Amino acid sequence: MLTVQLLVNALALGAAYALVALGFVLVLNAAGAVNFAHGDMVMLGGVAGVTLAAMLAGAGLRLPGIVLLPLVVLISGLVGLGVAALGFWPLRDRPPAAMFVATIALAAVFEQSATAFFGPEPRTAPAVWDGAPIAIGGITLGRQPLALIVVAGVAIAGVYALLEKTQIGRRFRAVAQDRDMARALGVRAVHLVVGAFVLAGGLAGLAGALLGHQFFVNAGQGPAYMLKAYIAAAVGGWGSVPGALLGALLIALFETLVSAALSAVWAQALLYFALLAILLWRPQGLFGEAIGRRA
Amino acid sequence: MTEMLDIAGLSVSYGGAQAVDNVSLTVPGGRVVALLGANGAGKSSLLRAVIGLQAAVVDRLAIDGRDLAALPPERRAAAGLGYVPEGRRVFAGLTVRENIEVAIDGAAGPRAARVADMLALFPDLAAKAGERAWRLSGGQQQMLAIARALARRPRALLLDEPSLGLAPQVAAAVFSRLRGIADDGIAVLLAEQNAARALAIADEAVVLAHGRVALSGDAKQMSADDDALMALLA
Amino acid sequence: MSAVPAPFAVFMRGPAPLLIAALAAVAWIAVVGDSYALRLATLAATQALLVLGYQLVFGHAGALSLAQGALFGLGAYVAALLSLHAPWGVSLTLPAAALSAMLVAALVGAIVLRLETHYFALATLAVAQLIHLAAVNWEMLTGGANGLPGVPALSLAGMTITRGGPMLLLAWSLFAIAAWIVARVMAGLTGLALDLAREHPPAAQSVGIDVAGLRFTAFVAGAGLAGLAGGLHAHVVGVVSPDVTDMPVMVGCLIATVIGGRRAVIGAALGAILLTHAPEWFRFLENRHLIAFGALALAMVIVAPDGLADLLATVRRRLWPLPERTSGAVLAPPAGVARRSVALRVEHVGKAFGGVRALDDVTMVLAPGEAVGVIGPNGSGKTTLLNVITGILPAEQGEVRLGTESLRRRPAFTIARLGVARTFQHAELSAATSVLDAVATAAFARSPRPPRDVAGAEARHWLLRVGVADSAALRCGALPAGRRRLVEVARAFMARPRILVLDEPGAGLSRAERIELARRLRILRGSGTTVLVVDHDIDFLAACVDRLICLERGRIIADGPIETVRRDPHVRQAYFGRDDAAAEP
Repeated sequence: MLTVQLLVNALALGAAYALVALGFVLVLNAAGAVNFAHGDMVMLGGVAGVTLAAMLAGAGLRLPGIVLLPLVVLISGLVGLGVAALGFWPLRDRPPAAMFVATIALAAVFEQSATAFFGPEPRTAPAVWDGAPIAIGGITLGRQPLALIVVAGVAIAGVYALLEKTQIGRRFRAVAQDRDMARALGVRAVHLVVGAFVLAGGLAGLAGALLGHQFFVNAGQGPAYMLKAYIAAAVGGWGSVPGALLGALLIALFETLVSAALSAVWAQALLYFALLAILLWRPQGLFGEAIGRRA
Repeated sequence: MTEMLDIAGLSVSYGGAQAVDNVSLTVPGGRVVALLGANGAGKSSLLRAVIGLQAAVVDRLAIDGRDLAALPPERRAAAGLGYVPEGRRVFAGLTVRENIEVAIDGAAGPRAARVADMLALFPDLAAKAGERAWRLSGGQQQMLAIARALARRPRALLLDEPSLGLAPQVAAAVFSRLRGIADDGIAVLLAEQNAARALAIADEAVVLAHGRVALSGDAKQMSADDDALMALLA
Repeated sequence: MSAVPAPFAVFMRGPAPLLIAALAAVAWIAVVGDSYALRLATLAATQALLVLGYQLVFGHAGALSLAQGALFGLGAYVAALLSLHAPWGVSLTLPAAALSAMLVAALVGAIVLRLETHYFALATLAVAQLIHLAAVNWEMLTGGANGLPGVPALSLAGMTITRGGPMLLLAWSLFAIAAWIVARVMAGLTGLALDLAREHPPAAQSVGIDVAGLRFTAFVAGAGLAGLAGGLHAHVVGVVSPDVTDMPVMVGCLIATVIGGRRAVIGAALGAILLTHAPEWFRFLENRHLIAFGALALAMVIVAPDGLADLLATVRRRLWPLPERTSGAVLAPPAGVARRSVALRVEHVGKAFGGVRALDDVTMVLAPGEAVGVIGPNGSGKTTLLNVITGILPAEQGEVRLGTESLRRRPAFTIARLGVARTFQHAELSAATSVLDAVATAAFARSPRPPRDVAGAEARHWLLRVGVADSAALRCGALPAGRRRLVEVARAFMARPRILVLDEPGAGLSRAERIELARRLRILRGSGTTVLVVDHDIDFLAACVDRLICLERGRIIADGPIETVRRDPHVRQAYFGRDDAAAEP
């Protein structure tokens, strides 16, 4: 049925957007500032996926896309480390606007680097799960969207477990609430902040590799992804992790449904109008602002 | 009696203002030293400087003989310094249990045991162990902040105005706890504006006025002379 | 000491060398350059206008807007559409471009400027994306992805300005005029007011500056320059495509601002020239030149946040130092100008935060010319009381009256203009501003607004009265706390208040500084100003006020002469604690 396929596509898109939004909001919590280069980390993940596949193909190997994912995550994590080193560390005592501006410059550097070494043409990342669509209960579903939902779901569940069930995750949440108090209790806050950047990079890269099959990879797509994450974080409640995830799903749902009903262009335009309306009437978002709540 | 916490020649200035001017004091293990003075006298700045959240110049800052002056806050905490700040500053979005857990280093097993110990020590908190900290009352948050600091087995504990915003009975309960903590051997440095309450549980007292030590000595003697104190406090 | 004679140093430090260099460069290019070089130089002028506008928004008003690029594109489209479809309007294309951008900015700004930074940036980003979407997809109007080709050359008063030399000269002339106007305005009290509004909004409100209104004006003016730049761009390039509204324009503008300098107008030119010519000059790096440019911007944010303009200014200061002017005209305010002081009435004011009553049925009266001190332990509500009186917080119950006028629901800057001036617990002075300028800023909200040198002369008068006149040329950040406090008091008096509210003026001061401050306050009271002082030090208060009020837990527990209140057992209890506490276990 058309509607179920549509929902599955929306869910797959939402899963990928959720990965992007998750990394974005983790860094927001850790550093207290917006990382404008986050979308470019997504793009670089797609680039990594394409490049690795090309390298393997050149060596005569044809491996399923899913095998490349761990390597993409690793590379993207390193990119995250680079962003922390250049965009966060030197500006850690300055107001958040400084990191905002610095990461805009960094995003430009990433985009130009990708254009220079990769070319301006869009490429396709390898599919995670190749093959003909599957039929389940009389409904035909594409493999890639299903694979996307599963991989993203596993990653998000993993991060959730990390944050809620481990000491590192608890300490991370404490640092997000009150960095100085955490330090006064022996928590090495800076390590956690850098760790957040690395994790965010890995998640972003993963999303890029997953999205790169259906939506292509091109050097200029970074800001578009960053904007999705930014909107998701604002709509869901600034700093709230579940809020950002929900926001991402809502955006994907909205985009898919409005695209089908009207057009992709109207989906974008109405999304921005909806965002402006939310910022005016309920700026604290669905879950309320999670950051900066003092005891 | 060992001088657990040793502060000599501490000065804090920011923006040209001298918040703390060459203050020296020591806190022996097992004793409560009350740090008194009006707001703006420098009590908070002093404590923040000791834990390392405020830049300061100091001749000597040591805990149990170990020099702290060059260390960042997290290493001072690791050396045995505990801090309960003004306004409690519990981690609002974390549960009571999680608030205590984050403070404890080491492996999961001993950590869980230590959390259980702390909850046993504070039954009111145990009853709310799974609740988010922002839902607690002021007095309960104060207890949580103390439990959180205690969980690290500190050798010296710094408290900044723990009775602020608390009803008198609640404040009384907090203070009797503090006496008990000192009796267990911990050096307690207690900054308070409510002088009577602090002096009631303290062994010694140091009064700051405009960043300098104006008066110091035995707590019982000082609480008897409230004319002198009042003049200094207001 | 420099061996260079003073007049030469004055000349080299002034704007003349820069203007001469600029004229020479433009003339050189106009005469010698090929059409490519001419075009590049003309485009640099349009970018310079764009960056100049962004300096108003981001540099001066401190608003991190991401819509500047899209407004540039909007201006380009308007100019193109007008010249293509309405030939009668061909000489109006530039004003139309600027006005349309200003209109959009006014609509948007009225709604989003009050948002906090992270929401504001996002909102402007959304607006920019909407403009871009319209450019790409509203094919009937904008020609869609192909854009609008064949934009004719600009026409002014019947004369056609051809592309090439004439357009180059026009573009840079427009920039020069705009830059001159901006520099003149910023050299006056407006520049000082913007600085204070940006760095210490509460302090700006407290001297009557309408912070929100100022930001709005800067936002709209910046948009006008963006639209103008876009219109010029359309005529230079001859074709308008959706690229002009896309993110790279915004990013380029921001990077040029960061590299060139956020506030100095020469920075706009420097950043724009670098931005436009980077592909040419860095061509040896082949297609990596933009990477280098972005990396340069990143380095500037970290290392030299005030940009090339600041570096240039530093070099000029070192090469041609000028002595600081320490003395100047002193102008006492005209006698008739001092406003009659009035009574301040606080009537049954209540205010709660969450469940805590910060103020509970507070009633007090200050007679005209009286000086009253407010004491109370930590958390008693003293600062909340001040915030309610000065309009930073609204009272939930009761009201505050100034004479017969109610201050209910009035914004803080209006209350300041009615005659309530205030100082803050942590002196709210911009560290980089000079002491003289900091005080002069308070004259901005006056009507009529005096010129900056007249304000400076009166500022000197107040600095003399508080005793810091010898520090007039120093930066506020270089002063010790006691003197900073005195500067703040001088600024408050500069606002010609009927009522002066001081929030813990003695905090952080040495004993000697407090004695001096109390003495100065006593003298200044001679002008009849009503004074309300919150502090802890009763000795300090005894030296400058007539009466004391004590607060505890939001309620007034004592109100009377100093010695009476000091000995009041309730007051002692509030500070000292219960006497029976010692008996508890």
